[in-house]
Amino acid sequence: MRIRGFVSLAIATIVISACAPVAGGEKPAGTDGAGPATKWTPSRTPDGQPDIQGIWTNYTNTPFEVFDEKDQPGLYAGDPDGTGRGTGPGFINDSFERKLSKGRSLVVDPPNGRVPIMPWAEEKRNYRLGHIQDDWVNFTPWERCITRGVPGGLFPTGYGSGYQILQGPGYVAIVYEMIHEARMIPVDGRRHVGSGIRLWNGDSRGHWEGNTLVVDITNYNDKGNIATNAASQRVRSIPQSEDLHAVERFTRVDENTINYEVVVDDPKVFTAPWKLAMSLNREPQYQLFEYACHEGNLAVPNTLSAGRAKDKAAARAGTQ
Amino acid sequence: MNWMKGASIAVVSAGLALGISQMMRQPAEGQVPNVKLSRTADGKPDLNGIWQAMGTAYWDLQDHHARSGPVLELGTIAAVPAGLSVVEGNEIPYQPWAAAKKKENYENWLSRDPEVKCYLPGIPRATYMPYPFQILQTHNNDILMAYEYASASRVIKMGKTEPPPVDTWMGQSTGRWDGDTLVVDTIGFNDQTWFDRAGNFHSEALHVTERFTRKSPDVLDYQVTIEDPKVFTHPWKIQMPLYRRQDQNAQLMEFKCVEFVEELMYGHLRKKTGDEKPFAAARMRWP
Repeated sequence: MRIRGFVSLAIATIVISACAPVAGGEKPAGTDGAGPATKWTPSRTPDGQPDIQGIWTNYTNTPFEVFDEKDQPGLYAGDPDGTGRGTGPGFINDSFERKLSKGRSLVVDPPNGRVPIMPWAEEKRNYRLGHIQDDWVNFTPWERCITRGVPGGLFPTGYGSGYQILQGPGYVAIVYEMIHEARMIPVDGRRHVGSGIRLWNGDSRGHWEGNTLVVDITNYNDKGNIATNAASQRVRSIPQSEDLHAVERFTRVDENTINYEVVVDDPKVFTAPWKLAMSLNREPQYQLFEYACHEGNLAVPNTLSAGRAKDKAAARAGTQ
Repeated sequence: MNWMKGASIAVVSAGLALGISQMMRQPAEGQVPNVKLSRTADGKPDLNGIWQAMGTAYWDLQDHHARSGPVLELGTIAAVPAGLSVVEGNEIPYQPWAAAKKKENYENWLSRDPEVKCYLPGIPRATYMPYPFQILQTHNNDILMAYEYASASRVIKMGKTEPPPVDTWMGQSTGRWDGDTLVVDTIGFNDQTWFDRAGNFHSEALHVTERFTRKSPDVLDYQVTIEDPKVFTHPWKIQMPLYRRQDQNAQLMEFKCVEFVEELMYGHLRKKTGDEKPFAAARMRWP
């Protein structure tokens, strides 16, 4: 993803020169969990929803999982020298001089901070990430410019980490900077779509429990990945099945912080449900840029082209 | 009952095609029927909902008779339906070089139309593609337009905005209320998007001014002024109705079309395994 990284670096330079650096003011995330520490009460929208609107970012130095000696960060990142930890060091968000906290892991359950991935799913990931030169389906849907997924689209990554939440009658909308997705979440009590409809991002249905937006997501297809970016370490490129069921909880605990939690349950892929917790930090001066990903996707064709060139070279060597 | 609602839209649409269309082209003033239209809590016309154009402007903004489609085997299914012009006066005032390029675009439609590759549609094309879009009005603030096609969207900033820092496919939209009409100014485009499948195009100097006016609870009047001094000799206008989707539980569906064009764009680069099921060699004919 060097090309996209470069473009975004250029954009970041524009942003930095255009507006003063914004301190993230992030609360300790991850192992601290999402305990509501304050009595702060959000204002309400005209139709009575707690108001969680605004521009939010999710930069953090907390790693996705607790590191294990057996992990192969180079493989997951597609970068042999990478550490695969957090989104901070080496990524452009450092330039913003945000004060990022560093907790133990974004995965808070199971208590060991490790996602309970079934062996077949790890093998599938290893095969896919080792064969991206063969076929575009071996890339994650992020590199294919389809989606970072739900909930994966909210997992921290190195850049393009802006989210705008808008609310109108009966809806909460989340505009994702990355892959320019506008996720429309109805909060009017309607049922999920029929089980015959399978979706990359699943079917989201929200409701309010006090000040917490609870979103239930079902109807996934089995083509997506639960996480797509190097910052998600070992979980990157792990497949999702049609049995995936995710429940997200958004709680605005003060003016500048939404506590975000998601419980991921996919009995075909994980041996137990697992939970991730982090904060979304209000950053009103952050500018979301158009992420016209597919329109400029050279990563996929160039990688495949390199694979075919290798095939040709190997065939030539074989005939000599 | 859904069927009844659908049928009534179809009847309205047929009525338009049969001659009410001229009436719809009149300016918005004085046309609002004697119906109390709902308003948002901040007193603005309530544009919330899922909307869709019904004409064939997505094929060709100008007058066009029916014609065969580009793939012989698809027969009637991919044929192009006829449609009346949504362009005021029908003519698009291209500069001479640009008229020649438009003709060339039309003749090379399949290899040039960004829609074929699932690219972002730009404005105003996103509005009248054959997919619904959703308007979400926030209280006294931004307005979101989310399009089913390609997961495209735009956030319309209300009031003053800074000049766009970079050129983009969807442009930068700034909104204001002119009485009961939402006026959206969009600039900061690149020169990659088209207006339709007939090769109508623009440069990065494009300036689009849209006017959304509620005509009745379920119909928006959509007027657009298109300016681009590098391509056209003077500004020109389009106008069409947008209809509210009446389906119970209407919602935007997922149309992530990148997946549908990967074989087209990258198929020649895939490692061959011997298990490929080749596409039948379709016979093309276009124009």
